[in-house]
Amino acid sequence: MAIAIAVNGVSMEYKTPKGTTHVLDNVSYEVQDGHFVSIVGPSGVGKTTLLRLLTGLAQPTAGEILVRGKRISSSPDDLAVVLQDYTRSLMPWLSVEKNIALPLKNQKLTKAERKERITASLAEVGLEGAESKYPWQLSGGMQQRVSIARALAVRPSILVMDEPFASVDAQTRFDLEDLVLKVRDDFGITTLMVTHDIDEAVYLSDEIVVLQGKPAKVRDVVKVDIPFPRSQMETRNDARFADLRTHVYGMVRGLE
Amino acid sequence: MSGKPLRIPAGLVSAVVALLIWQIATTWGPLAGTSVPTATSTLAELWNMLFMSETWDSIWQTIQMALYGFLIAVAIAIPVGILIGLSRFAFISTKFTFDFFKVIPPIVIIPITILVFGPTLQMGVFLVVFAIVFALAVQTAYGVRDADPVLIETMRCYGMGRAKQVLFARLPAASPFIAIGIRISVSAAMIVAVVAGLVGGAPGLGHDLLLAQTNGQNTVTFAIVLILGILGLAVSRLVVFLQRRLIFWTAS
Ligand SMILES: Nc1ncnc2c1ncn2[C@@H]1O[C@H](COP(=O)(O)OP(=O)(O)O)[C@@H](O)[C@H]1O
Ligand SMILES: [Mg+2]
Repeated sequence: MAIAIAVNGVSMEYKTPKGTTHVLDNVSYEVQDGHFVSIVGPSGVGKTTLLRLLTGLAQPTAGEILVRGKRISSSPDDLAVVLQDYTRSLMPWLSVEKNIALPLKNQKLTKAERKERITASLAEVGLEGAESKYPWQLSGGMQQRVSIARALAVRPSILVMDEPFASVDAQTRFDLEDLVLKVRDDFGITTLMVTHDIDEAVYLSDEIVVLQGKPAKVRDVVKVDIPFPRSQMETRNDARFADLRTHVYGMVRGLE
Repeated sequence: MSGKPLRIPAGLVSAVVALLIWQIATTWGPLAGTSVPTATSTLAELWNMLFMSETWDSIWQTIQMALYGFLIAVAIAIPVGILIGLSRFAFISTKFTFDFFKVIPPIVIIPITILVFGPTLQMGVFLVVFAIVFALAVQTAYGVRDADPVLIETMRCYGMGRAKQVLFARLPAASPFIAIGIRISVSAAMIVAVVAGLVGGAPGLGHDLLLAQTNGQNTVTFAIVLILGILGLAVSRLVVFLQRRLIFWTAS
């Protein structure tokens, strides 16, 4: 299998008037093509920082990040993002359709093709016919579906998500988790997700990267050897699920 | 028959009450026999004036000064405000200068404008521009800076450059700020256009007001004040109406 993303010896320091914060220290790992990888760790450890480096929003102070062998300096072309703050990442002055269409302006598509992509992505997330709605007319879960639809519409090879389901209710959360798994199956997208919910990480991932310490290092990369397809009812009651969850939880808490 | 009950607007009621009080005060009350004309004579004068082309010329001249000044100020302030708002350095370094000019009342520069333009329409236009351009630019810059960083970063992740960020995120995010600036600017433009005539001799209603007052035409003076009031009200209503339509997402 090819390597989609390679993080090589990445360190990150923030320089502020109050001094330098060393957040990431020599972080390395590789993400296989088509894999679902979660990044977990205690609050404030540097998970979001790592995602900002991956999306080209910030540059590491040392090391490099390669996407399909190419060192990134700005945001890679075929990358899409879904952030925790759905209310802040959709534009309230644009309809759902126009929100999704915006990133498509960078691609050479005919009007019909664009329209088709929007319809297809909305169908994929179960929001058929919501084109002319405005984000503030939708519930939180629906808004997050729109961000996922926007991500899918660009036909990304890599999907990056920062705590995407942290601010929706439990039932919606389960639905969205299964939606993301379906999307991965349908399109084979390499997915990187930051979460603070260890159960969620185990349920969704092929691999879990555990960040620990100050500055943060990769404490371990845990392979989740639970076969796909997974289901909320069965997988979460699986003995292996419980083992892995306990193991990862212990590492995140610094108990192991 | 239509089932709709007859609705009397509250504004109309209070206007009638005010006119009644005015009429009583100037007929039997403390203002009787003073130089303050009665409501009825003022309204009669106003009615007469509506059939004189000079009145409409003056109204048009005042509106022209306010409108041209306003449009020029908007054309300067919004692009300048956007540019300033995009750079932290530009924002901080220009803020002091702009705030300084913002607080200079336009009336104090009238002597200078008379020297440069004479008592003309251009002078009025210049004064209006001066009165509103700085505040509007600062307001725009604030709005541009107020755009949500999460939104901007999302756009950057999707490879959208500066121009697209401005067009699709920063400008819409700034529009409620700009709208407040515009609402204030429109009223200020009307006031300054009148002051330009009243103090600086520029043509229009302000100048007519000055002439009527110095010639002792009390009813005309009061009639012009009424025209100005109605004009101001109409303009601000129009602005609020347009704003509700254009910036629909902030309502609720
Ligand atoms: N822009 C920044 N400037 C300075 N320090 C920052 C900045 N962003 C994050 N940090 C610091 O870096 C550390 C990691 O933050 P973050 O990556 O957001 O953690 P997490 O997402 O794991 O909760 C925190 O201590 C935070 O205060
Ligand atoms: Mg975070």
